[in-house]
Amino acid sequence: MATATGVFHTTYRKDLALRHTRAEYVRLGLLAAVLVWVPFNLNPYWLGYANLILLAAIAAVGLNILTGYTGLISLATAGFLGVGAYTAANLTVYYHWPMPLAVLSATVLAAAIGAFFGLPALRLKGLYLAISTFAAQEILSDRFRDWKWLTRGHGTIVTSYPTLGGHHFKSKFEWYWILLVITGLVVFAAINLFRTGLGRSFIAIRDQDIAAEVMGVPVGRYKVLAFSIACGLAGFAGALQAFYPDGQTVTWENYEIAKSFIFVAMIIVGGLGSISGAVYGAMFLTWVPAYITRIGQTLQKSSFHFLIEKLSAVQLALFGFVLVVFLLVEPRGLARLWQRVKEYFRIWPFRY
Amino acid sequence: MNRFARKLALPLCVALLVGAGCGKDNKKSDAKSSQGATKADIKVGAIFDLSGPTADIGTPYSEGIRDYVDYRNTSGGVDGHKLAMSYSDFKYDPTTAGQLYGQYVSEGAKVFMGWGTADTEALRPRVTSDKVPFMSASNAETLTDPSVTPYNFFPGASYSQQMRIILQYIADKNKDKPVEVAVFHNDSPFGTSPLEDGKKYIADKKLKITFKSYAMPKGATDYVAQIGQAKAAKYIIVQNVPSPAAVLATNLATAKSTAQLVCLNYCANEIFVKKAGAAAEKMIGVVPFAPPVPGGSGLEEINTFLKTKNTDAVAKGQGYVQGWYTMAVMSEGIKNALAAGGDLTGEAVKAGLEKITDFKTGVSDPISFSSTFHAGLLSAPLYQVEGGVFKKIQDPIKVEK
Repeated sequence: MATATGVFHTTYRKDLALRHTRAEYVRLGLLAAVLVWVPFNLNPYWLGYANLILLAAIAAVGLNILTGYTGLISLATAGFLGVGAYTAANLTVYYHWPMPLAVLSATVLAAAIGAFFGLPALRLKGLYLAISTFAAQEILSDRFRDWKWLTRGHGTIVTSYPTLGGHHFKSKFEWYWILLVITGLVVFAAINLFRTGLGRSFIAIRDQDIAAEVMGVPVGRYKVLAFSIACGLAGFAGALQAFYPDGQTVTWENYEIAKSFIFVAMIIVGGLGSISGAVYGAMFLTWVPAYITRIGQTLQKSSFHFLIEKLSAVQLALFGFVLVVFLLVEPRGLARLWQRVKEYFRIWPFRY
Repeated sequence: MNRFARKLALPLCVALLVGAGCGKDNKKSDAKSSQGATKADIKVGAIFDLSGPTADIGTPYSEGIRDYVDYRNTSGGVDGHKLAMSYSDFKYDPTTAGQLYGQYVSEGAKVFMGWGTADTEALRPRVTSDKVPFMSASNAETLTDPSVTPYNFFPGASYSQQMRIILQYIADKNKDKPVEVAVFHNDSPFGTSPLEDGKKYIADKKLKITFKSYAMPKGATDYVAQIGQAKAAKYIIVQNVPSPAAVLATNLATAKSTAQLVCLNYCANEIFVKKAGAAAEKMIGVVPFAPPVPGGSGLEEINTFLKTKNTDAVAKGQGYVQGWYTMAVMSEGIKNALAAGGDLTGEAVKAGLEKITDFKTGVSDPISFSSTFHAGLLSAPLYQVEGGVFKKIQDPIKVEK
């Protein structure tokens, strides 16, 4: 893969590197600088949303592995967030497990349940599969509501802050760093996944599953595996969120179908089949509603009182409108948009 | 050139949007507090459902709260302090509620006005640890015990209490004859909240009532199947918001059911009457806060305030009046806290609220809190719809737990 003029891969090591040019390293450095700058300079409102973006990115990356790379649609992301959250909260609150172990077990359980609900993928594709995952979502949210033992009859579970050596992690600032490392690792692992045989097999299944099978890819096993990776990551994000300072109550209302659609929107807006796209999508779909809410809050303090009455209705319309515009401008999502920006500047001032 | 412009437009658009977002972070809210010799503002945080699933009743409720704040501020504030309320629409989403609560408390909100069961439940632990008095429209009985939820308050009668009141009324009406009651409820903690307490009350008081409950599934377009199951019921009690309750009423009318329809307070209002039309006739409402009628008591302040806006309490409806008096009760708690001297902390406001005894509203029995009980009312009157308007048929009934 050529990356830029005059850059030749003269060793296997160089060929395998994730970054080849100095510009790429500069950009990585800039990104790192911004990520370090963020927690020191954002007010609590925006820092809270930065954390929510990091949490959403974990599940979105998982969903993009399943939908964008393996070509299997899932409408059950919220359900698996719930599996993770309920498992981790149950284990810590009622069985007094340490939080990291509980989160890990929640991830494994979500992955296992995900594999089970992924079984229809052996026979179904496209919209038919979408319907079967829709069923999975409904089954899960129905169980969250009706199984009283999940919450010991209280309806909700209240978690406590994670502790380490007597220190309680309860500030958004601390959580930012924890989540940044975790999300960074997930993104790094996901990018590298598609440099392995397994990742390539996923792509082969997406592009043409019969051809993939002919080439010797165990299609059935890998489809189920893709489901369990995606659901496992969703469960992981859900389990972490159960302990996050702003969301320490696990309640079924958080894990309904509407949220699943948000995650599908994230990967479509961000760019199907792109790990960075999933992160952009998570940023976009978390940030835009928050920003619109912020406009509403600012207007309260100004003289535009008559607008506020209408704003709540307009908020949703505006959100939808922004989505449509972005997809019209670049149907392949924000990831592709960013690529075009880079290409433009690379050859500037020439056209091509 | 065209293509060049288009290519350039994309990154510019992105840059503009991002830039606009980062530039808006100014903190204006603190500026007001230092105006001359006036006393410091008291910050109030609030979340309302203005566009979510309970927006039909959430919107008038929020107007009532906001208008009370305006009214109170123009008539001198609370002991000279102005109420500075910040609010947002949270779309009945607990995550958003948590985010907004965190924001407002970090911006210095002393007290918080919540809305439904979802957000109140989600915020309960944080309200307790942050010591922020929290008043919501969720009347779940689980919020009334200060040993569990020390900072949660609500001014009305709990859903469970409303259920006991109507069960007692039904038992008294039917003397010793056995009667079947069907409860149609919202399929959520809000809906199921009074069920167990209702059953327990029947068992404790040995009432001759058969009690059956039916969930009203979310998004259902009719409840014909459930009505079929509940054929033997003489009374149908609804614990839901107006829109689904109106659908149920219409279905009952179509099925020519003779059962008496009863609504607990969240569907016993003019929104239900408007949506159900003729099917709303004869519905009995258990209403801790009475629906506003022309010349009704307790509406004078509201009407004086609304005159400037060329409207009145009757037009604004029951939710509005409830919101108005919820904020009035919170303000009374703040007033008591200020009168006690010392800093206006969460603990002080909690103590101030617990001091409230026989606070008169005119639209309900007098409201009282105590350090052992955080629901404002134990009683509720019954109203019936006649010719599209609410008529009082029963003075407030007070029952023991």
